[in-house]
Amino acid sequence: MKRTLLIMAISVAAIGGIQAAPLPATIKVGSAESLTGDNASYGVSIRHGIELGIEETNASGFLGSSKFQLVIYDDKADKQEGISVFNKLINDDKVVTIIGPTLSGTAFACIPVAQKAGVPVIGTSLTAVGITAMGNYVFRDSLPQAAVIPGTLAAVAAKYKPKKAALLFQADQEYSKSEADVYKAALAKAGIELVASESYSKGDADFRTQLSKLAAKKPDIFVFCSLIGEAIPVLQQAREIGITAPILGGNGFNNPNVIKNGKEAAEGLIVGASWFVDSKNPKSRAFVASYTKKYGSSPDQFAVQGYTAVQILATAIKNAGSVDRAAIRDSLTKIKGLDTALGTFSFDENRDPVHPSMPITVKGGKYALFE
Amino acid sequence: MDLSLFKDPIFLAQNLVDGLSRGALYGVYAIGFTLIFGVLDILNLAHAATFMWCAFAGYIAMAELGLPLPLGLAAAMLAGAAIALLLELLAFRPLRREGADKLSAMISSIGASLILVSLAEAAFGAQTRRFPNSVLDPKPHFMGGTGGVRISNAQILILAASVVLMVAMGLFIRRTRMGKAIRAVAANQKAARLLGIDVNGVIVVTFLVAGALAGAAGILVALLTNNIVPGMGSQIELRGLAVVILGGMGNIEGAVLGGFILGLVETFTIAYVPGGSDIKDAIAFFILFIILLVKPNGIMGKQKADRA
Repeated sequence: MKRTLLIMAISVAAIGGIQAAPLPATIKVGSAESLTGDNASYGVSIRHGIELGIEETNASGFLGSSKFQLVIYDDKADKQEGISVFNKLINDDKVVTIIGPTLSGTAFACIPVAQKAGVPVIGTSLTAVGITAMGNYVFRDSLPQAAVIPGTLAAVAAKYKPKKAALLFQADQEYSKSEADVYKAALAKAGIELVASESYSKGDADFRTQLSKLAAKKPDIFVFCSLIGEAIPVLQQAREIGITAPILGGNGFNNPNVIKNGKEAAEGLIVGASWFVDSKNPKSRAFVASYTKKYGSSPDQFAVQGYTAVQILATAIKNAGSVDRAAIRDSLTKIKGLDTALGTFSFDENRDPVHPSMPITVKGGKYALFE
Repeated sequence: MDLSLFKDPIFLAQNLVDGLSRGALYGVYAIGFTLIFGVLDILNLAHAATFMWCAFAGYIAMAELGLPLPLGLAAAMLAGAAIALLLELLAFRPLRREGADKLSAMISSIGASLILVSLAEAAFGAQTRRFPNSVLDPKPHFMGGTGGVRISNAQILILAASVVLMVAMGLFIRRTRMGKAIRAVAANQKAARLLGIDVNGVIVVTFLVAGALAGAAGILVALLTNNIVPGMGSQIELRGLAVVILGGMGNIEGAVLGGFILGLVETFTIAYVPGGSDIKDAIAFFILFIILLVKPNGIMGKQKADRA
């Protein structure tokens, strides 16, 4: 009898032990972001969001006694560097998931590496068409251009009823080109005639000739698809040559530097945002408060997306009860109706994010909802 | 192809203005670059980084210390002269002492350039800066009423500055004692030394002048493009080199002329060629190539600073 009891006790303990297999004490999360160069304002912002997210997750004990550890490298907005950094994160640091990279152009080069190695990737700033199509390990919480642009354009069209539009984009940059294509399609669908389209290349700083050509066709609205480095001079030169028609900026303009350095030129700019710093969502307010306290400046859309990526990852790991890369991937696909600072968040069947977006405008030197 | 553009004289005049201003910028940048090449036979590839630092120096002087434009320009030129002097003392002179060849000097300048850019990235971060509007009113003037050709204060300043600098440099090289000494050193360093010229001193002056010119170029570019970032040298670097080759290495008037040509070609390509903004670089360098086929030593020929 005693022997039977002993065997039963040991079995129960063993089964109990297997079921309660704990997560490792340290869970390495990798990240590749543009920390230097023109696009560093996005990368550093994302980094801050991720770090705040990790700090809060660790402090709250969400994953029990396990703690996230961030391993982050600079992808320098360069494809080669992106591939090299991804390899390092996957093989040397053996991270469970990678958050990043910052630019879609870099992503098209380095994400296939992760897909092949079976490492989940969560993009927090990748909006170009085709990102999640790279494979079933690729996720993003940054609303793709195709999701945001039609809504933004509809809002602008309702207010200004434009008939003609002109477009300026960067021809040798994947994000900008992709956004320009999405805009062209959205404009056509909305019945707005694209009367002029001009482009510039990497390193250009004087856009006056292109802008004059656009303005000569007298469009009712202008659409600019630029990264932050060019966004500000484009805006300023546009105002300088006398453009007063409404200006619609792409995702690259979702950066507080546009207001800070663009100053009066940014006034009246309209952008399709996935998030807005004065959003009334309680989780967002809490995030804004903590972020501002920790970093001394208000967060932007990229920071909140980085922060939310950590929350999504933590939730996926907790639900899976494991840090096995394939298990995390499967768990990520099941994220539905999660309450985040971005609003109610879900991944769709293509691993793209589903959450409400909003057009915002610059009014009186601050972002405000566009109405 | 939109033929209506060709018939528009205002558009043509506008492109002349934009193209010449763009070209004048290249010219001012190239003068300093070609001077060092003319005198020392080395390609100072740190000229672009110097130019960038001077733009930041101007930014600090005008945006943070609130100084007016003339003082900001002076600050930038002084900064340029100082950086150029440092380059000479740290990157070039030690190699010259060892009798190293010109290629080593060029590589040394590449290293110096990387250091300067990294320092700027660490010091200033990546966000773009611009001068405050108080420095120079950005509101452009429209010649002949609002439909007319637009020219901004920055463009006027750039055009004026490039002409003034070209004339001043020409006079300096041809009419002053130091100018003669520079020409002598450019012709033959050893002979100049034998004639009692303080060669190292002349080289120092050359660098100071080239640096000051980089400083002026930095401020002018920053005024026109409103985009001061640590990476701002990379775009003008290649064009500066192209302009210097186009104009004849070591030739100051050639550098300015080459600058105007490149600026006009770029602007006219964007304006008149369909899809021009994408291929403007290809067209500009293609034209460069054609000109070099006809005149391999550049438009003004291989007249170094020694041939007056």
